[in-house]
Amino acid sequence: MRSRSAWLLPLAGKEWRELLASRAWWIFLIAIGPLVGFAFISAVRTYGEASGLHGTSPGVGEAFSPLIGIWAPTFSACELAAAFLWPFVVIRLVGGDRQSGSLKLELQHPVSTVARLWVKVFVLIAGWVIASAAPVAAVLLWKSYGGPIYLPELATVSFGHLLNAGLTIAVATLAACVTEHPSTAAIVTLGVTVGTWILNFVAAVHGGFWERVAGFTPTAMVAELQHGLVRLDVVLVAAVLIAALVWAAGIWIRLGVPVRHRVRESAVVGVAAAAVVWACSMTAVSRDFSENRANSFSKPDEEALRRIATPLRMVVHLAPEDPRRSDLDRRVIGKLRRVLPALDVRYESSTTIGLFEQTDPHYGEIWYELGGRTITSRSATPEGVLERIYELAAVTPEAELEEDIFRGHPLAVEPRGAAAVFYGIWPAAVAGTALIWRRKS
Amino acid sequence: MPQSGRSDPLEPLIRVEGITKRFRGVAALNGVGFSVRAGEVLGLIGPNGSGKTTLFECLAGVLPADAGRVLHQGRPFSAADRSTLLFYLPDAIAPWPAQRTRWAIEFVVDFFGGSRSALADVIHRLGLDPFLDVPIGQLSKGQRKRALLAMGLLTTQPVLLADEPFDGLDLRQSRELAVALRDAAARGRTLFLSIHQIADAARVCDRFVLLSGGTVCGEGTRGELSSLAAAKGLKTAADLEEVFLALT
Repeated sequence: MRSRSAWLLPLAGKEWRELLASRAWWIFLIAIGPLVGFAFISAVRTYGEASGLHGTSPGVGEAFSPLIGIWAPTFSACELAAAFLWPFVVIRLVGGDRQSGSLKLELQHPVSTVARLWVKVFVLIAGWVIASAAPVAAVLLWKSYGGPIYLPELATVSFGHLLNAGLTIAVATLAACVTEHPSTAAIVTLGVTVGTWILNFVAAVHGGFWERVAGFTPTAMVAELQHGLVRLDVVLVAAVLIAALVWAAGIWIRLGVPVRHRVRESAVVGVAAAAVVWACSMTAVSRDFSENRANSFSKPDEEALRRIATPLRMVVHLAPEDPRRSDLDRRVIGKLRRVLPALDVRYESSTTIGLFEQTDPHYGEIWYELGGRTITSRSATPEGVLERIYELAAVTPEAELEEDIFRGHPLAVEPRGAAAVFYGIWPAAVAGTALIWRRKS
Repeated sequence: MPQSGRSDPLEPLIRVEGITKRFRGVAALNGVGFSVRAGEVLGLIGPNGSGKTTLFECLAGVLPADAGRVLHQGRPFSAADRSTLLFYLPDAIAPWPAQRTRWAIEFVVDFFGGSRSALADVIHRLGLDPFLDVPIGQLSKGQRKRALLAMGLLTTQPVLLADEPFDGLDLRQSRELAVALRDAAARGRTLFLSIHQIADAARVCDRFVLLSGGTVCGEGTRGELSSLAAAKGLKTAADLEEVFLALT
């Protein structure tokens, strides 16, 4: 008797062969090498100069964290590839079945369309992991220069880009299943990407609800993970979105089902996904995997803040596009939220850029309220804000231990051999492998 | 295999009733009804544009029918019935075009649980040996048609729906294919073939469904259709082409 899962291996093998047979995949693989290489070479050069290379003055602090100085810019090439190249690989694999007519044969198998699509998704994720050999080559080069590697933060950055690739796969899969032609699917997928950028822009201008929603866009997600911060709500929301998009794609790829039924079923999936996303967004668990605690205050500060049980309310009189506000968000509020779950932050401004509000006597002020006591300050630096909070809460942090202070990892080196690896060896190796595979298969 | 149950032995394997399909208000099929008997080779004959492919796609679940129903041994046809009972071989497709023919045929056998033991025989009978290492997308129309038929013949569903199986084949290949199809029927498989060349249909089919303008104009054996045509004024016991012309 034929096993119920006997379809899985032949189908996975077929999807894998189809991926390898696709020119889009090989071109993507060739392109990601130079993309990552360019970013890596620029990052190492800048890092080296900041560390005193060629007689420049060595810098201090965060600039010497490989996470910020090397891995964030190097892996950002993967974000570019995921946004502009990867969708074409996905659409080729998913939409190719419809174009060639093989869908009409394959869908006669009783296995569900969603299960079929998950096989494609896993094969594509395997493809992305293979393409990650380019950043891995950068890591090996960095190691060969004597650069330090802190695995937790490196793993977090890689995970962020894998999640981003997963979201791209899900969006492009749905687009390929809903539309009749690959070019339409490509336009829809790129449209979604541009849409999330617009959402980020709207969030920066209007804040509030939009800011909260924009926190879950791939760009925001990658930015946080690139700084070593893993937020459970963001990861869960991304996972739910991937599952919901693949589910919806499974509805649309079916043959012989009237469009009105598909629309109805998609609406049910959308409502269910929205409810789960909302529930996931309530989770407040996060962990900072960066070596330099880029997303956290010092340990004594965090211990002092955790002793504050009373809800803290802050009213910030800064416009959305005021650079002080983005600094405050990134360097203070984000870190505060991780240790003070009862923090309530409100922004007050009557314009978006703040330039014309400077005459308002309250513009630039931050009002604090804790347990009925209030205080006002204009300082938006981490030290200034923490001082006001400690003053209100009447707590005093202990001094930071010398060994806990991150001193950075300066490395004054040139990116030796990187150009040869990424601009020569990588494309040649990929092209050679493609030719060998085509002859053998 | 589909459950035969305790159904009426006189009940046809599949009964199609009142299938209607419209595209933007234009009826491609209009209340189509006929029967498919177990083990027969049934030919769906009609000119280009008569609705043959639309009918096959409605039966195979590729297109949603606007009205009508399909019964399997007297019971309504479910999606699960469809996948265990039917295998549909569409016309004008080039599945997995980058893959070699041998791999594509073996994939269909492995994926659908077909017969590996019959693989060599079917490949040989359809003359596919020289093309096994050629990618499907590089095959000629006739070669690709034979590769697709090999896939269809190697699946195990009791009913094979093949859309234009003779299209693109030369006379010799058509005759060899007719023999292969008759052999499949002799081994108990039910074949429902859409054919626009009446000579090809006459060579291989036991019974015929005549379709014109989305409507069934006649159903039966050649003799039954001749009688029907005679009743409509056809004077001589003409060949199938004349019968078709008289009835449509």
